[in-house]
Amino acid sequence: MLILAIESSCDETAVALVEDGRRVLTDQIFSQADLHAVYGGVVPEIAARSHLEVISLLADRALDAAGVGRGDIDAVACTYAPGLIGAVLVGVNFAKSAALALGVPLIPVHHIRGHIAANYLAYPDLTPPFLCLAISGGNTMLVDVRDYTDLRVLGRTRDDAAGECFDKSARVLGLGYPGGKPIDDLAKQGDDTRYELPRPYVSGENPYDMSFSGLKTAVINIAHHAEQMSQALDKPGLAASLCRAVSESLVGRTMAAAQELGYDKLAVAGGVAANSRIRADFEAACRKAGVALYVPPLRLCGDNAAMIGAQGYYEFLAGHTADSSLNAYATMEL
Amino acid sequence: MLMLALESSAKAASAAVFEGEKLLGVAVENSGLTHSRTLLPMAEGLLKNLDRSVKELDVVAVAHGPGSFTGLRIGMAEAKGLCWALDIPAVGVSTLEAMAFGGPDMEGSMLCCVMDARRNQVYNALFTVENGKPVRLTEDRAISLADLGAELRAAKKPWVLLGDGAELCYNTLRGDGLVLHLAPEPLRVQNARGVGLAALGREPRPAAELLPVYLRLSQAERERQAKLGK
Ligand SMILES: [Zn+2]
Repeated sequence: MLILAIESSCDETAVALVEDGRRVLTDQIFSQADLHAVYGGVVPEIAARSHLEVISLLADRALDAAGVGRGDIDAVACTYAPGLIGAVLVGVNFAKSAALALGVPLIPVHHIRGHIAANYLAYPDLTPPFLCLAISGGNTMLVDVRDYTDLRVLGRTRDDAAGECFDKSARVLGLGYPGGKPIDDLAKQGDDTRYELPRPYVSGENPYDMSFSGLKTAVINIAHHAEQMSQALDKPGLAASLCRAVSESLVGRTMAAAQELGYDKLAVAGGVAANSRIRADFEAACRKAGVALYVPPLRLCGDNAAMIGAQGYYEFLAGHTADSSLNAYATMEL
Repeated sequence: MLMLALESSAKAASAAVFEGEKLLGVAVENSGLTHSRTLLPMAEGLLKNLDRSVKELDVVAVAHGPGSFTGLRIGMAEAKGLCWALDIPAVGVSTLEAMAFGGPDMEGSMLCCVMDARRNQVYNALFTVENGKPVRLTEDRAISLADLGAELRAAKKPWVLLGDGAELCYNTLRGDGLVLHLAPEPLRVQNARGVGLAALGREPRPAAELLPVYLRLSQAERERQAKLGK
């Protein structure tokens, strides 16, 4: 089954062709990062405008690259939530019109489910059930993936997403947007014990809930304090201390959940999974605990449409299709 | 030649189907629901009721703006999706021109199409009717009510007001030698029939090249330009 997949929830426009949920024929991505860099973050209106400018061309390019025709497409899948509403709307409306005109089923896909499904593309043998930590600029959650379309959220961030914490910290360190990659690079040259950063304590019953706003504030305060006192800021040290703090918040909870639920498979998904400190710490923790670790390659960690095509296939098998009244949503439960 | 026309630039959304120059049907919805929910089902239902298939379409016409940024993008993303899947071209039409084409067509009428653009401005274009069709007197623009009033006055003719900014203009600018008429209610706001009529004389183009004409930068761009200008 050949699925045309569309993703436009944030600042990447993406179109992919995916066969049977596992084989990527092509994965076209147009990143708008440069358009937003001067604003220090994604501007929703600019994102929505840009998606509409490139979406048809990307879809053309996908057909060319895969060497298939429109008539070969068996279904159209698209991200319909969550995301920047103006941005998601472009992909949803393009996708549903294309599905209508092609006379094929339309499959709405939850963006985070897509991130999790990126693992099916990277690891053809991976099948549910498994535990998944989904970490990105917009979301941070620990998910019990019982089956392809039966997912339960075990815990989530109460405030900022982990990626947001990196982006905002990068901003005060003058590293620009997006902040994940430059923080990661800088951290490699720093001493991760240089600054004392809080390990966010989350009150309440759920041991798997997380919090990152306190960490972000601590980084901002250290940077501002150094500036006010005209002290030199050890930027690599701060970046390394931050990566360590984020990683420790994530790894401890995740490994505890794996143990409690008896999982021996852990998948990590989302753009923040690209962080090398987080990857290394999970590798070490999983080796120690005898848990198999799945982390998609960098290209599949960020936003892309191949992952939407992968999840779309399993949503289709579960009978989750929509008609031409499908709408886009800024927020949506997993 | 089967044409689908889409209009989603303001509160009401509409779809129309033309066979050559003949209007086969129009569907309008003014429910207040997002056009993302209503526009495509309307187009689909209309074609179905006309016993025509989406696959028979030869061209899609769409209002390219000005208007609600989100509304414009919904209509245009749908036009692009249809055209891409069917490998057919599209025609982008000015919302204001579509309004004039769907408006009163009495010979010699002076048409002032206005949409409320907020921030003390209206989106506007002026037309006159010649041989039963609107002929453009100005480009589409964002203009202050005061400047528009001065222009209308200078023409020394009565004007027919169209669009969701018609009442605003009527109440603010009338008098002082300026004679204004509100277009009859059913003809006052843009709809897909006007989009189709305006598209009839136009050469279809690749739908991928279709772009909204917002007539206004995003707020972030405006603020940045203001800052850089200082
Ligand atoms: Zn994402």
